[in-house]
Amino acid sequence: MNIKNFTNGLIKENPIFVQLLGMCPTLAVTTSAVNGIGMGLATTAVLISSNAVISILRKFIPAKVRIPAFVVIIASFVTIVGMLMEAFTPSLFTALGLFIPLIVVNCIILARAESFAYKNGLVASLMDGAGMGLGFTLGLFVLGSVRELFGNGTIFDVSLLGANYKPALIMILPPGAFLALGILLALYNVVQIKSSK
Amino acid sequence: MENASIFVIMVSAVLVNNFVLSRFLGICPFLGVSKQVETAFGMGMAVTFVMTMAGTLTYFVHHYILVKLGLEFLQTAAFILVIASLVQFVEIVLQKMSPTLYQALGVFLPLITTNCAVLGLALLNIQYDFGLIQTIVHSFFAAIGFSMAIVLFAGIREKLEISDVPLPFKGFPIALITASLMSIAFLGFTGLV
Amino acid sequence: MKDIFKTGLILLIISVIAAMSLALTNEVTKDKIIEQRAMANELAKMQVLPEATRFEDVTGEMATEIIENYAPIVEAYIGYGSSDEIVGYVFKSKPTGFGGPMDVVTGINLNSEVTGLRVGSHQETPGLGAKGTDAAYYEQYAGKSAAELIGVSKTAASGNDIQAITGATITSDAITVGANASIDAFHMIIEQGGVGN
Repeated sequence: MNIKNFTNGLIKENPIFVQLLGMCPTLAVTTSAVNGIGMGLATTAVLISSNAVISILRKFIPAKVRIPAFVVIIASFVTIVGMLMEAFTPSLFTALGLFIPLIVVNCIILARAESFAYKNGLVASLMDGAGMGLGFTLGLFVLGSVRELFGNGTIFDVSLLGANYKPALIMILPPGAFLALGILLALYNVVQIKSSK
Repeated sequence: MENASIFVIMVSAVLVNNFVLSRFLGICPFLGVSKQVETAFGMGMAVTFVMTMAGTLTYFVHHYILVKLGLEFLQTAAFILVIASLVQFVEIVLQKMSPTLYQALGVFLPLITTNCAVLGLALLNIQYDFGLIQTIVHSFFAAIGFSMAIVLFAGIREKLEISDVPLPFKGFPIALITASLMSIAFLGFTGLV
Repeated sequence: MKDIFKTGLILLIISVIAAMSLALTNEVTKDKIIEQRAMANELAKMQVLPEATRFEDVTGEMATEIIENYAPIVEAYIGYGSSDEIVGYVFKSKPTGFGGPMDVVTGINLNSEVTGLRVGSHQETPGLGAKGTDAAYYEQYAGKSAAELIGVSKTAASGNDIQAITGATITSDAITVGANASIDAFHMIIEQGGVGN
């Protein structure tokens, strides 16, 4: 049962490719594979912590004020993650910039709090948070890799396409974000259509 | 940026650093509420209203409460609470004062709390060290930029609905590629200021 | 009525606990963050003025004069050599690039020669303006004469001109604005007979 909660977010309900949630950081920070993973893990940390706390407090928080309560809890964890990142991984913190505090308004986190953690036990909520978070990270990593590969000829700063490759700069500029995600979604649809036949 | 002129802020917020197409703020409503021009326009107006007020209010919260008390680390939490309360407040006031306006904008208001354009704007204003006037101008015109992008986008999507799109591209994929083309067009404004 | 009171109280308790945990994390990470920033700052100063072994802040009237009249400079330092003689000055400026303010650190020695320049935190476009942090770009500034201002050429470096980053003239201009403000401030300091001991 708990395993299912975990794999659910990873593939079947992948936040990026299936639910299309959290689009702002998805498009903004995926200029490289490293940034994608960094953003994904930061979000995962917040998601697991907020899911856990909300699940523990679910009987204590009155339904009427649940949304403000969730927001306060999520905002606190986001700030804590931000402070830790600034202290221990300053270069990643600078690269992600504004989008660290903006994890607060990432729809995935509030959506999981509302639709899962507020109704389920601690272990299930932890699993759900980890699954959704890693699913998000996976999506960011794929998108970041594709953009870095075509836009810079590298993945993780390792040159893959040779020195003669002339980078398609557009891929790491804003339009490339929309373009890459659009094409990846279409590919995902092709697979879906094929397998349902 | 401290001394950036009002005009430069205006042009840059609407065209060069368009919130949606170059900063990636407010993508959720941009993709979600853009199937019809009319609703896109309503969303744009609601966002403009809230963003201008939120930008101004968070300016005071930051400079007169957080900085004075040395509590800058509470910034994110404080801003999101201000925005959430503001949206509720606007909803209640609109309902009482102007039922017609409430009918037009009401459905969009709850969605705005989790619109990252609003929180992003509040944080950017502080980051750029804007004064009060600059904050108000930047907030208003950033929102205008958002509204412009979403209305233009909705116009294109209305046409897309009736055109023949390959099956795997139907829906979001083609919408994203359209957004990409718009973003390329907006790249043309680079270097304007 | 009693219900409202209870709901409010619960929300208050959550907020208080959240604020307290934030204050605690802030307390723990604060020193580390300041240390990280100071370290990055110190390292940049060493790199742009290698002759110096130790730095002191320019303070008092001179500092005010520089900050007021030589925007976008925000900080100035005196570099001392191994036998405590002044070897040059380092200026930190915050010119506005394409994506917002960027940190530019410029070193100038007493021979009126730019000894180095580094770009610190910035929000420039990856692949374009972000190339300002590449050695190939910033090393152009080292060895330029501070007797005249540095120019920006789109085609090739020549004389006291540096070659702009392809496709990122705004960034190149901004960095050069920071460098030139430093040159101006340097001349002012020399004309006034220098600062320091």
